[in-house]
Amino acid sequence: MSQLSLKNLEKSFNEARIIKGIDLDVSEGEFVVFVGPSGCGKSTLLRMIAGLEDVTSGDIEISGKVVNDLPPVQRGIAMVFQSYALYPHMTVYENIAFPLRVEKLPKAEVEARVDAAAKVLQLESRLQHRPGQLSGGQRQRVAIGRAIVRQPKIFLFDEPLSNLDAALRSEMRIELMELHKRLGSTMVYVTHDQVEAMTMADKIVVLDAGEISQIGSPLQLYHKPDNLFVAGFIGSPKMNFINGTVAKADGTTLSVDLGPLGNIALPRSTKAKAGAPITLGIRPEHLQLGKGDFTLKVTPNIVEYLGIHTVAYSTLPGGENFIALFEGAPAIAEGKVSEIGFALDQVHLFDQAGLAVY
Amino acid sequence: MTSTRSASLFALALLAPAILYILAIVAYPLFDTVVLSFTNAALRPAYDFVGWANYERIFGAGNFTEVIIRTFVWTFASVSLKMIIGMFGAVLLNASIPGQTLFRILTMPPWIVPMAIGIFMWGWMYNGQFGMLSGLLQNFGLIAGPFPFLAYGSSAFWATVVTDVWIGVPMVTIYFLASMQSIPKDLHEAAWTDGAGRLYRFRRITLPLMVPAIMTMSLLSLIATFNSFDIIWILTQGGPSNQTTTMIIDTYKTAIGSYRYGEGAARAVVICIFVSIFCIVYFRAVRKLSQGEVK
Repeated sequence: MSQLSLKNLEKSFNEARIIKGIDLDVSEGEFVVFVGPSGCGKSTLLRMIAGLEDVTSGDIEISGKVVNDLPPVQRGIAMVFQSYALYPHMTVYENIAFPLRVEKLPKAEVEARVDAAAKVLQLESRLQHRPGQLSGGQRQRVAIGRAIVRQPKIFLFDEPLSNLDAALRSEMRIELMELHKRLGSTMVYVTHDQVEAMTMADKIVVLDAGEISQIGSPLQLYHKPDNLFVAGFIGSPKMNFINGTVAKADGTTLSVDLGPLGNIALPRSTKAKAGAPITLGIRPEHLQLGKGDFTLKVTPNIVEYLGIHTVAYSTLPGGENFIALFEGAPAIAEGKVSEIGFALDQVHLFDQAGLAVY
Repeated sequence: MTSTRSASLFALALLAPAILYILAIVAYPLFDTVVLSFTNAALRPAYDFVGWANYERIFGAGNFTEVIIRTFVWTFASVSLKMIIGMFGAVLLNASIPGQTLFRILTMPPWIVPMAIGIFMWGWMYNGQFGMLSGLLQNFGLIAGPFPFLAYGSSAFWATVVTDVWIGVPMVTIYFLASMQSIPKDLHEAAWTDGAGRLYRFRRITLPLMVPAIMTMSLLSLIATFNSFDIIWILTQGGPSNQTTTMIIDTYKTAIGSYRYGEGAARAVVICIFVSIFCIVYFRAVRKLSQGEVK
């Protein structure tokens, strides 16, 4: 049985429809990440699950019970806020103990639960400090501690790592994943960072303008994006898109006219009309220097040497940006024509509506 | 070396107008008052130094101690009421209710109306024969006949307190409201997700986070109220039988009313000492609070 279930969920602020009919099932113990660009409604969706925003229509079910009209505390959720929302005038101990004090639990139990959480989060030596005396990562842990002590069915995280610097972010990412393993709780996590989504999620929900663009495992989204939006959003650097038109589609081979880049014949069974616009997608990391089933000549404007990788940025004759990522430091230089190729089975195709063509 | 010296001379030159202004407006009158307090200055053109005589006189005999106590009671009653009502008002104005802006505007009149006009208005309301309060109380059958509030010592005392509170509350309310709104919304949302109700949140989050604002406002209000002159002077002139005479009224009556400048100055010096103590407490509190923030 799914632990969290969203059924045709809608949210409008006056005339503006922010969430447009979301359907989603989350199983017990799953780590689900809502990802999408700013303003796609991911935080609103999380706040609706938390009970901080009213539901305009549709249902939110937690453990089979509709919770639309229940206050947050009765939903069995705990939320970690982007700003951490720590009480600056209270010690770390009191911050973590806050939900238990509200519940009026006996002193001994409060102490036991806070101590247990502090141990898990390695905050034992910080319990008597105030939030202002802690580092960003420690504040983050206090906020998580405050969620843990409530022993919720579902943890909700609203961009919890966005206030940390890059090094700390990857450290905390691993800590959160370990925490998820240890607690085995269901976690719903909102982020705009696709790397966080890819590395942490069991299931990613890609949101675009209040709608679900695709749901799937990180690798599913990477290898089989349903549409242009997901293809462009998942993966870094971004997938290259080359505009073309269908030259011929006979049920076994799809031939695409890429203009000055030439024609490319792909083994696809799709029956598309000749002349229909089609977009070819190829990930920068799938490009090879000087070889491949199909090659094109490009002149890099900028080459970035990262040691482990080299990234070359060029512009195609059609005006599209073209990024290539190679391992190590291959023989490619700014302003020098290079032949770059790729294997046909790495190519993604998207029709005029932006939907993937397989 | 030379450049440092010319730089500090330049700084001094820039500060000179302000320094001269402060010397003329604050330092000299203060110094002169202290000097005057050791003389028997009166309406006569000449006066003599009398040493501590004025201080011995005001603290020895008479009712000065009574005046000091009355001033403190008046001040503390007024300041506490302003703080309590101000906080209550801020909570109400902070609530997201329809017409919120209108209610916020409606709190302003006591602050906007020229003070003297507001006080005269209260003077009429307190009038026994045609005053609104006496009339209302009679209509409700709470009093038998006309009740002139300002004619009896105790009612006049509280009447002046009420007027002072009426004038002072809007500023406290707006200040508290601003401080309340500076508390991040997230804190309330986090507490609400943890099950904390309105009252609990107010007690455990809002109030503790407003301590700096409450302290600042209390002390500033204390200083202003302690020296509040116009309200009492317009309503009762310190009467009946000195029952509303606070230190500032007493000083005015002695120095300007009875032309005993020397003695009046001594009384003013005592006020100055009290206010200085409040100021020291205020500045220490501000320093402590700002250090707390840094932590």
